[in-house]
Amino acid sequence: MAVALTDEQRLLQDTVREFAARELLPVAAELDQQARFPADILAKAAALGLMGLTVPEEYGGPGLDLVASVVAQEELARASAGFQTIVSVNNALVCDPIVRWGTDAQKRRYLPDLVAGRRLGCYCLTEPTSGSDAMSLRTVAALEDGEWVLNGTKVFVTSGVEASLCVVYARSENIPGAAGVSAFLVEKSFPGLTVGKVEKKLGIRCSSTAELLFDGCRVPAENMLGARGEGGKIALATLDGGRIGIAAQALGITRACLEESTAYVQQRKQFGRAIAEFQAIQWALADMATRLDAARLLTHRAAALRGAGRPCAKEAAMAKLFASETAMWAAHRAVQLFGGYGYIQDYPVERYFRDAKITEIYEGTSEIQRVVISRRVLAEA
Amino acid sequence: MPGLLVIATLADGALSRSSLELVGGARALDQGLRSGVAAALLGHGSGLGDAAKALHQHGVASVYRVDHPALDVGQSDAYLRAAEQVAHRVSPDVILVSADTVGREVAPRLAHRLKAALVTECVELAAEGAEVVAKRQAYGGRALATYVVRRKPAVLSVKPRVLDAAIPAPVQGTVEDVAVDLEAQPPARVREVIKEKSEVGLEDANIVVGGGRGLGGPDGFAAVQALADVLGAAVGSSRPPADAGWVPISWQIGQTGKTIRPALYIAVGISGATQHVAGMAGSRTIVAINRDPEAPIFGIAHLGIVGDYREVIPPLIAKIKELKGQ
Amino acid sequence: MDVIVCLKQVVDPELPARDFAIDPATRRQVREGRPLVLSTYDENALEVALQLRDRGNVKVTALTIAPQTTVGDAVRLALAMGADEAVVVDDPRSPARPGAEIAAMLASAIRKIGSFDLVLTGCESADWVERVVAPLLAEELAATCVTFVSQVETHDGALVVRRQAEDGVHVVEARLPAVISISSDETNKPRLPKVKDIITAKRKPLQTWSLEDLEPPGDGSMADVDIRDVAIPRRDARCEFIQGDPAEAAGKLAQRLRALKLL
Repeated sequence: MAVALTDEQRLLQDTVREFAARELLPVAAELDQQARFPADILAKAAALGLMGLTVPEEYGGPGLDLVASVVAQEELARASAGFQTIVSVNNALVCDPIVRWGTDAQKRRYLPDLVAGRRLGCYCLTEPTSGSDAMSLRTVAALEDGEWVLNGTKVFVTSGVEASLCVVYARSENIPGAAGVSAFLVEKSFPGLTVGKVEKKLGIRCSSTAELLFDGCRVPAENMLGARGEGGKIALATLDGGRIGIAAQALGITRACLEESTAYVQQRKQFGRAIAEFQAIQWALADMATRLDAARLLTHRAAALRGAGRPCAKEAAMAKLFASETAMWAAHRAVQLFGGYGYIQDYPVERYFRDAKITEIYEGTSEIQRVVISRRVLAEA
Repeated sequence: MPGLLVIATLADGALSRSSLELVGGARALDQGLRSGVAAALLGHGSGLGDAAKALHQHGVASVYRVDHPALDVGQSDAYLRAAEQVAHRVSPDVILVSADTVGREVAPRLAHRLKAALVTECVELAAEGAEVVAKRQAYGGRALATYVVRRKPAVLSVKPRVLDAAIPAPVQGTVEDVAVDLEAQPPARVREVIKEKSEVGLEDANIVVGGGRGLGGPDGFAAVQALADVLGAAVGSSRPPADAGWVPISWQIGQTGKTIRPALYIAVGISGATQHVAGMAGSRTIVAINRDPEAPIFGIAHLGIVGDYREVIPPLIAKIKELKGQ
Repeated sequence: MDVIVCLKQVVDPELPARDFAIDPATRRQVREGRPLVLSTYDENALEVALQLRDRGNVKVTALTIAPQTTVGDAVRLALAMGADEAVVVDDPRSPARPGAEIAAMLASAIRKIGSFDLVLTGCESADWVERVVAPLLAEELAATCVTFVSQVETHDGALVVRRQAEDGVHVVEARLPAVISISSDETNKPRLPKVKDIITAKRKPLQTWSLEDLEPPGDGSMADVDIRDVAIPRRDARCEFIQGDPAEAAGKLAQRLRALKLL
């Protein structure tokens, strides 16, 4: 570990590592191969308190700081990136905005269930015609008889199939861009909401990725999250936390690559010796370890800033950008270090390769992260 | 009065094998100490007479016999009090107790009551002049600790199946019946003994096949059992299968668990943690079958096959049957 | 019911062989720089105590004799798992002490705690593996003793326990007060602490005592023994790997066993 953890954070790390060893590592390959949603393991994770790590005690959560949450999530991702995706979305994209923007009634109604695993959350922002250009979204919300009626299509919704609570961004005002968007807490059971196409993915296959169809979906007025027109602000602030969660995911994947590669090269013998004795191999491990530590330091810094309530958009973007590109690079390297065996599904590195790619794309592509960072750099100049 | 006192017990109505191991150990010590070996024979029923004779047959002249119905399977409090009272009668310098289920409770408590020195789980005993030198495993079997017992009395508990049983050396012996005062309601009382399945006793088997975490689950033990059947062997396991409930705990071989010294031990899907090795390192020939060429078990095995047990065991069984003419 | 669980912190027994070393001066394992964990079966003992607590009306106190500077993690874990309070007797020399001394000190500490119905320990410590603490504690405290127990149930103010034996299981009735040592089985796998309990552990009562706070051991102390040496035995076996695909190798192995007259 490059960063000094508190005693509690260390115990948390050991605990989640042990949980991952008992529950995730033995089945991670199978979950990926079968694209099976890990409902039973999620229930155990919820029992430990992993589904709402930073939710305050008064709403049933452990009230952890964000650095501790990142530490825990790195351990989960090390075992199964797909599993951690589900946990990260629930924590950062659903629980967190409710804690920050929700009314007391909304918090009481949803947070205890989300923490306890009785409800799973999902986040509906992206649409077929609005990805990076998120605020051009076209899903509309119209006020009718004191209820909001949503119409539109959301795509790439993680846990879209299994979630029972959706944070949905829709245009409630006749204004283009972010200022016209509001956020809504939509229960899956509200009339007019159906799950559409379920995607088959390259990686993180144990999490479901679905299309959600809003066709006259009726949402009670008290389920708006925040004020009218605040949705854009909520989405962006939420994404900062989401990015830190994805950075944690990337850390876990990178560490998995480093640990598996280190073990393998010490075992694999060619030309009469362990390949760990060849300098090119050694340098690859040196680079992997260095970049992992750097990514972790960036991630923990962003988490510390956000946890302290300080602005962190640039730092979160840096962490996500660097950690995700590191994960992809490390996985690519790891497959190469394993040689032919790196291509075979009996070994985990091909899964890390497939899982790593999404970290460069979702919750803001690397290109968008660079836009965020450069704007800050130029503004601060 | 004899200086060495062996606490002898019955198993299945006859003198227990571990008692003979203690006698063997005591006689070897006595070659150096020259203070005489006696036995406290604790039990109940008609087997006691033959057991006393067996002790005479194996070189123990003085037998102090305690016959009491409370001296039944697992009743540690009774054995403790009986041993204590015989010890007061005999005032030995060294008391040997087998570190079996009851002995491991009795030995420390006896030492406490007698204010005696205590060394438990001994695997080697020797006399150096007037002193007893005892060795025991430490650190999960990674190290061997040597103790010098200078003070008397001393209580030593001995790991079963490690010392050689005494060879016959008949002597003219005596039997003194000792009346003891035991509690009518002991603090701990065995209500039920539940025996676990094992056709061939694990500790007495000439050949043992052990299964480990590498079997993947309880079903993996079917292959291990099939191999054991064709070899006439007993089945054991390392710790993970026992902890996970795949097999009964009494099948566990290791520092916590049974110590075995068969002529042949075949370890299937066992990584070879020192804790397990401590329980079977005395096997004459060790064969290991494991998918991982770096598994520590290959550091102690004499013969090894790197491979998946599912692919190795069936042809192994077939070839054994063929060679045995079945 | 007041339950006291005695815990010992040891160097991780899963340490790789290359990190295992004996210090010739102390004749004990080198601890510096090595990871420390709760002794294996002590975790099972804690789990058994917590299961009794889950069923109602039980207070669990974690007790340890250890160097205060290192034992924090073990105590934190015990409290996070669910122990109600902890007592640490600060003793920098404790890692080197034999079980008989530790048992006498634990007895003093338990008398100072005041009340207990049940004391649980691990069946053996992962490092020194003497298996003496529970029986000696029982003598010191004039309590019932049962060792190598995997399950404990209360029944009419007494205990019914399952003791692991050579050939199976003994079901034993034990009067309180009792000292029971715990071995592992599938019913007592140590629970993982909940995240919120990891945070609230620091709010639970933790007392730290020095050796001077304990009554010195009485005259009942047993004659001690001298440890002359602790050595790592050499293993000379060189494994002969049988070559070939699985079926070939299996066939050759069978031939070798026949040649060794083992068939």
